[in-house]
Amino acid sequence: MTQEHPLVLVIEDEAPLRRYLRATLQSFGYRVEEAATGGEGRNLLLRVNPDVVLLDLGLPDGDGLDLAREIRGWSRVPIIVVSARGKEEDKILALDVGADDYLTKPFGSGELLARIRVALRHAAENAGGTIEPVVEIGPLRMDFASREVQLDGASIHLSPNEYGLLAVLVRHAGKVLTHRQLLHEVWGGVPAAQPTYLRVYMASLRKKLEPDPARPRLLITEPGVGYRLKLGQG
Amino acid sequence: MPSQRTESSATSRAARAGDPVPSRSNFPLDGWPGSLAVRDHLDLRRLVTAVVAVALATAVGLLIYGYLDLADVAMVYILCITVVATRYGQWAAFLASVMSVAALDWFFIPPRFTFAVQDVRHVGTFAVMLGVGWVVANLAERIRSQTRLAMERERHTGALYRLGAALAEGGDAAAIQTRVEGYIRQALGMPALVLLAGPDGHLAPRTVAGIALDPDELATAQWAMEHGVPAGRGTRTLPGAPGLFLPLVGSEAPVGVLALFQDPGKAPDGADPKGLPLALAAQISLALERARLEEERAEARLRADHEQLRSTLLSSVSHDLRTPLGTITGATTTLLDPGPEADPGDQRMLLLTIHQESCRLERLVNNLLELTKLESGQVQVKKEWVPMEEVVGSAISRMEEQLGDRPLTLSLREAWVPLDPVLLEQVLLNLLDNALKFSPPGSRIEIEGWATERLARLTIADQGPGFTPGEEERVFEKLYRGGRSASAPGAGLGLAICRGIIQAHGGTIKAANRPQGGAQITLTLPIEGTPPELSLDGPS
Repeated sequence: MTQEHPLVLVIEDEAPLRRYLRATLQSFGYRVEEAATGGEGRNLLLRVNPDVVLLDLGLPDGDGLDLAREIRGWSRVPIIVVSARGKEEDKILALDVGADDYLTKPFGSGELLARIRVALRHAAENAGGTIEPVVEIGPLRMDFASREVQLDGASIHLSPNEYGLLAVLVRHAGKVLTHRQLLHEVWGGVPAAQPTYLRVYMASLRKKLEPDPARPRLLITEPGVGYRLKLGQG
Repeated sequence: MPSQRTESSATSRAARAGDPVPSRSNFPLDGWPGSLAVRDHLDLRRLVTAVVAVALATAVGLLIYGYLDLADVAMVYILCITVVATRYGQWAAFLASVMSVAALDWFFIPPRFTFAVQDVRHVGTFAVMLGVGWVVANLAERIRSQTRLAMERERHTGALYRLGAALAEGGDAAAIQTRVEGYIRQALGMPALVLLAGPDGHLAPRTVAGIALDPDELATAQWAMEHGVPAGRGTRTLPGAPGLFLPLVGSEAPVGVLALFQDPGKAPDGADPKGLPLALAAQISLALERARLEEERAEARLRADHEQLRSTLLSSVSHDLRTPLGTITGATTTLLDPGPEADPGDQRMLLLTIHQESCRLERLVNNLLELTKLESGQVQVKKEWVPMEEVVGSAISRMEEQLGDRPLTLSLREAWVPLDPVLLEQVLLNLLDNALKFSPPGSRIEIEGWATERLARLTIADQGPGFTPGEEERVFEKLYRGGRSASAPGAGLGLAICRGIIQAHGGTIKAANRPQGGAQITLTLPIEGTPPELSLDGPS
């Protein structure tokens, strides 16, 4: 991986969107490879070994979802899926088969770059295998060794479930986590666990961490999909 | 015989036992002596009446015996026999004849108070009396049967007329079904079923007032429909069956079967026994055919309405699509080919315009898609228990950019509401967008939410000019752009979508002006069931 100029593979059938992506990404120091079809993307992926993949779910030669699943079979490259709004089920499916995040068309360059940065960071962490014992995100400071959580320097008491939920979100800071993923990570195999559990603990977490729970700064809801811990600079 | 058959024949027997009564009450035949409608069968009461009549005749005879001739007494008896015959039927007449002869012999023929006959001529008198009794009884019987026939015809005509009147009310096939069955049962005293063929061509079984077809009968009915000929009782096919199955044939295909159950013991009517049922079936077929055509017409009308709405939508939307597109095209051409005096500040302003117009286009397209989905019934409301603050919060954070530094008052009670989070966010985005659009920059937007055990209520209020009085209902209509929105961009879809989504939730949405000024939208959502267990760390 080239730290300086990460390589982004864009698999997208719409030429104008590819042009926009190339222009934006290149102007922010990324290198870009383009594929217009899934097949082309697959070949290119094997050849150029990108640092992150932007994958459109609506590809002409088959389902982007299948491609995501296939890539996940042999590569850990971060995949950010791109899809139209109102296709929440598709996004959830893609995330559940191993995509790292999603972008909803139309999206601005700020959102695009933020998602790519998060994906690259997580990939680096995973590759390094090191888990930082202390993570600071905005006003939040989380010490995984002592299981201590601070907000603006003040210690916050969390129940075990709240702590578990927050820990998973912090570990994947900036990245959307589906209800299924969160339930799996926090409650493991509890069969009765359902999105309502999540909402209960998310509500109580917000009460403890957000000055105004209805205008959350950190714990963002992705309706119909899941939750995301927002990173400071967006 | 299946159980329901027992009941059905019981019903028709019951209908027959008191026959003269229902037939008179249902078909009043003015001018007909009720006696003529009496059916002839052995009835103890009539026989007793015959005896009483003879006793009366005897009494009269005893009174006049001293003054008049024996022949006159015999005439009194003959009068008595005639009256009994016409009033009480054949059997009573026979009895009256025999009794009269006996009474005449005992009381009047010498030697009196014995059955002995002195004069052989009197035997002739007896023979005449018996003969008169016989002839009168037969005559009376014939009159009665002709009357019955006439009444039966009258009944048919009346039945058809009344059925026609009942069917003229129209209605769909199911309504016709029920009406016909009720009518035949009530007016003809005959249990009846109207079975309709389903889309697969099979008759749909049906139970009415405890009467249903057993599998064999259903098969017979099916056969009758498929072959287009009557089957069952009195026909060539299964004449022994208790039911009569008449096919109901529409203009294109058989549509069903009329099943009639008569008492098996009932003698065929004087008229063609199948005449009335066939006529009924023809009339029912016509009514069903009419109902089918009416349904088709209604569907066509609905389609036409849809087309009309679609074209209105298209013309309205195309305007709203072209305007931002025009701006974008114009701005980009200027940017691509800037004039010699181009100012970097102007360029940035053009870019900003392009961005804003694109956002507007996006909203419009999203609303269009949403509305299309809602209207085509593709939207399924997937209700989940969601805290009110979460759904409001996600909408606000998605609007953060547009809200900018608008002051926002949030007052939400803690409440869990069953709703579809994706759809409800859509509603809130539209309402927030409207509040921003229709109120002065920098003015406050207020969101308030509270809930009871049965209902959640959310209001979004702005400090703009509010709604024009009278348009509070119409603002939810598709493409309505009244008062305040006439000059503002948008195709009048937002509130229509909100209403569609809220109604799909079983809730309500209302627009009003606040007393202190500004528009306020209030939506309510029903809360059914119990909210999730809120005890923390339960499921660990």
